[in-house]
Parts: sequence; structure tokens; C-alpha cells
Amino acid sequence: MWPQWTNMLSPWQWAALAAVPPAIVALYFLKLRRQPLQVPSTYLWQKSIEDLHVNSLWQRLRQSLLLLLQLLLVALLMLALVNPSWQGTRLSGDRFVFLVDNSASMSATDVKDQGVPTRLDLAKRRVSELIGNMKSGDKAMLISFSDTGQVVQEYTTNPAELRRRLATIQPTQRTTSLTEALRLAAGLANAARSAASRPEEKPHDVPAGAATSSTTTPSGGLPATLVVLSDFRFPDVPDVPLGNLTPKFELIGKPEADNVAITMLATRRYEDRPEELQVVGRIENFSSQEKTLAVELLRDGRLDDTREIKIPAGGRQTVPFPSKVMESGVFSMHIKAPDDLAVDNEAWAVVNPPHRGRVLFVSPGDEPLRRALGTAKAHELADIRIEAPAFLTTKEYTAATEGGAFDLVIYDQCAPKTMPPANTLFIGRLPPDGRWQQGATLGDPKIIDTERTHPLTQLIEVGDFVIAEAKVVRPPPGGVSLFEAAEGSLFAIAPREGFEDAVLGFEIFATDAQGQRVANTNWPLRQSFPLFIHEMLGYLGSGAARLETDSLRPGQSLTWRAEGAAEAVQVVAPGDHKITLPPQENQTLQFSGTDAVGVYEIHQGQRPVRRFAVNLFSAAESDIRTQPEHSLRLGHSEVRPATHWESVRVAVWKPLLLLALAVLLLEWYIYNRRVYL
Amino acid sequence: MKGERRSPRRGQSVEFADFRNYSPGDDIRFIDWNTYARLEKLFLKLFLEEEDLHFYALIDGSLSMDFGTPTKFEYAKQLAAALSFIGLVRADRVRIETLGQAAHAPGPVLRGRRSLVRMQQYLSEMQPGELVSLADGVRNFCIRNSGRGILVLLTDLMDKQGYETALRYLVARQMDVYIIQILSAEELEPDIKGDLRLVDCEDNDAAEITVSAPLLARYKQTLNTFVAEAREFCHRRGMSYVLAKNEVPVDQLVASFLRKEGLVR
Repeated sequence: MWPQWTNMLSPWQWAALAAVPPAIVALYFLKLRRQPLQVPSTYLWQKSIEDLHVNSLWQRLRQSLLLLLQLLLVALLMLALVNPSWQGTRLSGDRFVFLVDNSASMSATDVKDQGVPTRLDLAKRRVSELIGNMKSGDKAMLISFSDTGQVVQEYTTNPAELRRRLATIQPTQRTTSLTEALRLAAGLANAARSAASRPEEKPHDVPAGAATSSTTTPSGGLPATLVVLSDFRFPDVPDVPLGNLTPKFELIGKPEADNVAITMLATRRYEDRPEELQVVGRIENFSSQEKTLAVELLRDGRLDDTREIKIPAGGRQTVPFPSKVMESGVFSMHIKAPDDLAVDNEAWAVVNPPHRGRVLFVSPGDEPLRRALGTAKAHELADIRIEAPAFLTTKEYTAATEGGAFDLVIYDQCAPKTMPPANTLFIGRLPPDGRWQQGATLGDPKIIDTERTHPLTQLIEVGDFVIAEAKVVRPPPGGVSLFEAAEGSLFAIAPREGFEDAVLGFEIFATDAQGQRVANTNWPLRQSFPLFIHEMLGYLGSGAARLETDSLRPGQSLTWRAEGAAEAVQVVAPGDHKITLPPQENQTLQFSGTDAVGVYEIHQGQRPVRRFAVNLFSAAESDIRTQPEHSLRLGHSEVRPATHWESVRVAVWKPLLLLALAVLLLEWYIYNRRVYL
Repeated sequence: MKGERRSPRRGQSVEFADFRNYSPGDDIRFIDWNTYARLEKLFLKLFLEEEDLHFYALIDGSLSMDFGTPTKFEYAKQLAAALSFIGLVRADRVRIETLGQAAHAPGPVLRGRRSLVRMQQYLSEMQPGELVSLADGVRNFCIRNSGRGILVLLTDLMDKQGYETALRYLVARQMDVYIIQILSAEELEPDIKGDLRLVDCEDNDAAEITVSAPLLARYKQTLNTFVAEAREFCHRRGMSYVLAKNEVPVDQLVASFLRKEGLVR
């Protein structure tokens, strides 16, 4: 930002201008008229003057203060006359929407040489400049976005308010998605036709979750300029309803930014030695130089292991650590690399104590199932209680199920009167809540397909057993068919208020017309059967406190079921922030305050029950090298973000003139009050 | 001739004042023989002097006194009148003169309450504008008026040759000397600003100043030093010194300050 001068004066005028200050100085000394004043005696005055002459230079300067001020005044006036200007950005139009990226990558410090600590600060400074270039009466809106958009300030003509709100934009550790922010901007900007006539409307913060739902397709609306300030580390945006918005993109950040990131940290128990854990991390080098760095593995905050690794430019390296014996705890991995983004230099992996499910198996007598549930492996996964169908009518059953004593109830050839608050597996029967429909009865059906993506059936090979008789089951909406025959589903699973119900359309053992118990299928003789039981115990029976995962991305929400009776649940976030979640009726809790990376602890009734980690683990965010040459696909058009900002001359004679006025006032004040100077 | 006034000097009266050591040449009539009998040392008994009082008010009539509201000269006349009135009431011998009083026309000698009108008349005819230095004026006065008494010198002490010579003349006299330095508010707290050329009203000497806070501070410091020096000078020589500001009413000055100094009881 250097001033640009316009030579508006001829040499003669320049000469006249240059002669003004010497003239003032000459006049000041020539025309200094002292007012005569008669006093009784100059005796004391003479003495005083003599004393003061000792430090005369400073005195003379002090006496010439008015002269100096006059010279300054004239200099300012002359400067204003010369009409200097600053480089600025041309803003066309009278409505602006500023989209400021505050995702994790915007915390990168590669722009330090531009006098700001992070990219976000640079973007904010840039927006502030743009606000300064707005004409009076121009309206502007401010939106920050990471993986969701958030309205920071609705349309306003008040630049001070815009700047104040701009300062409130904080960096997040979330990933980036432009689509939601663009939808939000388009929706608000075009819906603002009515709001524009109400400029006094108070700005309100749209909560992160709710903002994304406003995906109204704009039509019409007043045209506005959309300025997106980001490092553009996000994928192409295929479908953008921009409406009347004219987008402009400004790239923040440098292509040569330097970052090394942990993109994975995982723990796994060995199959054969379940007490031992394998810890594996993955480190990627998103820079143009080979990096040698130290990796530290901390176990519950204490140094456990270190590695020194070498990663080529743009490469990645998996770092396995030798097996660790651990029941529960937290592993954290640090890399010591002075890079431009700090948030991905640390990662956490939690090891929660293994949870044993509580399973109730109600059956009139099914030997294969009973055996499959009686293995050592099954008992490792769950406590299994076996009862006859008569148990369903007892008070003990009612009390136990309503108290949440079971994670999974298996109803073999029987059904309860009401659905228990637990996961269920129905074998050869339908759940009594009427949501499930029964189809035709099939003889010797062939299973032609299994759902390979569902954890229950992903490992099961079903082509090698036969079924004598089966009924087609139709799950309620939201259900998934797991075994598919030509006529319909034979095994399906569907959610129910935070639980899941699985229904197997065929019995393992059936009672024939004579009351004899006969095998309905030879599945128990196949290898896939114990595997199925194992997966079932693991998936459906793994317990109330089960988390979907132990590792989340910042901003992701987490849903889990509280264990047992409804107690107050507290989540302790990194930095010891405590968030209390109100108890829910169906014990399903949701937590979405995962904004910061680190380890979160879930407390139930003052005792910690489980931990989970929030890690960035995003190559897109960690790769902070901007790509000025790469064009971004936006809808059907390709845009290339501007790296150099268009400039326009912004005249500064007005502030200079105001300054001159201020100097004049100061001079007047000093002239009147100079006695005290 | 002895009068009513009790002088701080020691003299001959019936009222005992003090003892002092005998030194050769003292009048042996005043030796306290009783004390000598007890202590075998010679002490002189001193007695209070009572005298017929000569009261002189000497007013500085120079041009520099013609400043201020009221003018310092006016103030000096009021003060002289007030003090003289006290003298008249106590039947003292009162004489009011200015520094430039011509030897052939000395001020009238006043005595008694009846002379009040004459004193007023005389004072009202008195005008400032005498071109005589402080030293010359005092010397002339001393030559004309010898003997004991009280002398009140009403002046601003602003003499470029210095006041010291003038006051030294008075030291030599056997008088109780009171110096009342009268300064105007303009001199004590100058309220001026801008670029000024200060002209001395007596000798047209000019001082060019640009008023600033340091200059004013320096002026005040100089003034304070000047006053302090004058006070010190007077006290060392047994003279009383009073600084009077022309804005303080005369009655207040007489009632408080001068009483404190012992001029008025």
C-alpha cells in the first residue's frame, strides 16, 4: 500500500508552492511584533530572562511551536492539494456479502510476513479494507464458514458494526465446505429483499446446525457482490444456486506453505493377544522439502516411545509402535516440527475398557444357538442369560427389561407383548409393535444377496446352506434387508427409537405338525453361523454405552445411549470445559460440541464411563499449500481465485484536510493557552 | 522627653527588663551589687526605655509605586494614615514624608487627635512621580531627621541599584525600623500572555519576553527569592519586614500582620 501521486501542478505552481514555507518562516521572524506593556519595574523580569537563557535552544523551540504548527498546517494543505491516493480495491455495486473461511487450515501461520499471525487474520484485515472502501450507503453482510456457514452480521450499512462483528470471527478446527456457506449466502442475500427495507433489524446468529437447513433456492433478489476469502482447500462445488450473486474469490495463503500432519492414529487389539494393543500413526508431509522429525508417543501424558522419521516431500509414512499392554487410557502422538499449522501436530487415540454386553436369550430350546452362545469367545463378549419363553410373563422379566438390564434380547420362536428398551433379534417371529410385515411363506428359498456393508453380515458367506421354510419379512421405513432372496428379504434390521431390531425370517429349529423339533436349516453346521453369532453379539449386544466410534472430526456430533437409569451426563471437553447434557427419555444422547481437538470424557453420575478423541485427520485441511494455478469448479463454471487484489485509487485529500483542520484548532488552542505550555 | 511607648531598646526607667554582663565602659550606676555579692560577677541591670515617640512614615513616591488597583502609592498612603492615626491618638509626634521630600519643605509635625484633618489634607495632596532613588531618598531623610523613634518605610524595594544601601543608612540610626514592601497583584501573579515588550516606567528599560509557563515559573521563583532576601536582610539588621499585597485591605493588614510584627499593639 504505497501512495500514488498525481502531478496536478505545473512547474510554476510547484515553485509557488515550494516558496510558501520559507515565506512563512521569513514573515514569522520579520513581522514578530511584540506588544509593548508598561510595568512597574523590569528588574525581576530581566533576572528571569537571564536565567532562562541558559537552556535557550529548547526555549526557542518552545517559542516557535506556533511557527512549527503553521508549517505543518501548510504542509498538510499542500499535500491535500497534490491529491495523493492509496491503492485500494474497487468494489462495484452497492451490496456485498463477505464470506470468510475460518476452517482449520485458516489458522496457518504462513502469512506472518504480511504482519498478521494467521491466514484468518489476513482475511479479516482484507475484509476490513474492503469495508473501508465501501461507499456510504452500501450494504454488506458477513458470513463465516467452515463445514457449515454462520451469519456473523446481516445486511447493514454501518461499517463500524461490520468491523466490530468481523473481529468476533474466531478460528475453528473444522473442515471446509463452501457449498453450505454459498447456499446460506444466496438464501439470505436474495431473501433480503424484504429485509432490506428494514435496515434496523437486529442481526442474529444462526446456530451452526440450523443455518444449513436454509437451502431455499433463490430467485430474483437484489444483485450483490459475493467476496469469498479462503485458502480454497476444498473440493469442487458441483451445484451452487448463486442467484443474483456475483462471486469474487480471493486467495489467502501461500503456495509454499509448509506443514507436516498426523493424518491417522489408531489402536487395535491383537486377535490372539487381546490384552495387547497395536498403535499405528500416519504422518504426511505437505511441503516441498524432505523432513526429518521426531515423533513422540505419550501414554496418559507420559512419554512412552519416540521415533525419528524421514519423510520425502509430499510423501507419507506409517509409524507402527511395538505392542503395548493397556486396559484403558489415552495415547497421544506429537510431532516436533516447526510448521505453519499447529492443530495437526498432535493426535489422540483413546482405549476404552472393553465392555461386555448383557444378553437375554429366550428360547424353547435351540441346541445349536445355545451352543454358539456358550463358547468362550461369546462369553468374552457378553454375559448371556438363557430363559424359556415362560420367563416373558414373569414380573422379573418386566422389571429387568424396563430397568435397562439387557443390551440385547434374542427371542427365539417366541415374542414379547411389548418391545423392550433394548436391541432385539427375533428368530422366526415378528416384533409385536406392528411395524414389521410378514410376506409369503417360501419353501427352500435361495439367498441370492447379502448386505456386504452392514457389520452384521459383512463377513458372512451364505451360499452354502439350505433353508427348509422361511417367511419374507418387510421392515418398516429405514430398515435394511440383510439376506435377500428372490421373493424378498429373509433377514432385515430396522432402527427403533435409538435401538435396533433384527428379524430373521426363518427358524433354526422348528416344531413340526407332530410337535417334533426338527432342524429348519443346516446353517449351524456351517462356518458362517458362529461368525454370525459373534458379529451379532458384537454389534447388537455391545452395550448401552456403546459409541459409534472413538474418534471424531471436529464439529461431528456423537450419539450414544446412556447406561442404565437416567442420570445427568457430563462431557468434559479439552481445557476442562464441562458440558452437562439433560437426561433423555430413551437414553439416547447427542453431543455436538466437538469443536476443539483433544480428548473428551463422558461422565455419568460423577464417574467417567468413556472417552473419545477428536482429531483433525483431514488431508485436505492439513495440505495448506494453496494452488493459485488451480482453478476451482463452481457449478458449471471454472473460477480462478485472485491472488493479487485489484487496486483502485482511493483519494485521501479528505482526511488530510480534516487533519489540517485539527492542526488549525490545535494552533488556536495553544495560542490561547500557551501560557501553560 | 519620655513618652508612653515601650521600646524594645533598653534605657532608663523604673521597670526592670533584663540583666546583661558588664563590659568596660558601662555606666557603673546600673551594676547590680546584690548579684555581685552573691556571684562575684558584675551584671548590669537593664530597664525598659520609655520615650516620647517620634513616628515617621516614609513613603516611596517613585513612578513604580503608581501601579495596581488600588495603586501601591495609594495603598502606602492609606497605610501611613492608619499608622499615623494610631500615633496621633497616643499623642506621639507624627511626621509623614516622601522619599523625594524637599529639604526646604519638610512634612508637618503632627500631634494629637486634632491633627487628623491636617494629616488627611496633607496626604491627599501627596502625588507620586518623584525621580529619586531609594538610597538617596533614605539618606536625605536620615540627614533631616536624627534621633530616636519609629520609622515605617513604605516602598516596593524595586530599585535597580538595590535596596541594600538605602537600608544600611537606616541601620545606623537609633530607630525602630519597619520595612513594609508593597507589591501589586500584577507583580505577584502576572496575568499576561503572548509576545510582549515590557517597558520599565521609570527608566524606559525594555525586556522582550514570550510568555510561557517556564518563564512565569522562573519569574515567580525570582520574585520569591527577592522577597526572601529582603526579609533576611532586614531581620539580620534588626529591622522588621512585612510584605503587603495591595489587594489586602489596610485594616486587615494593620490588625493582623503588623500586630504580629509588634508595630501595633
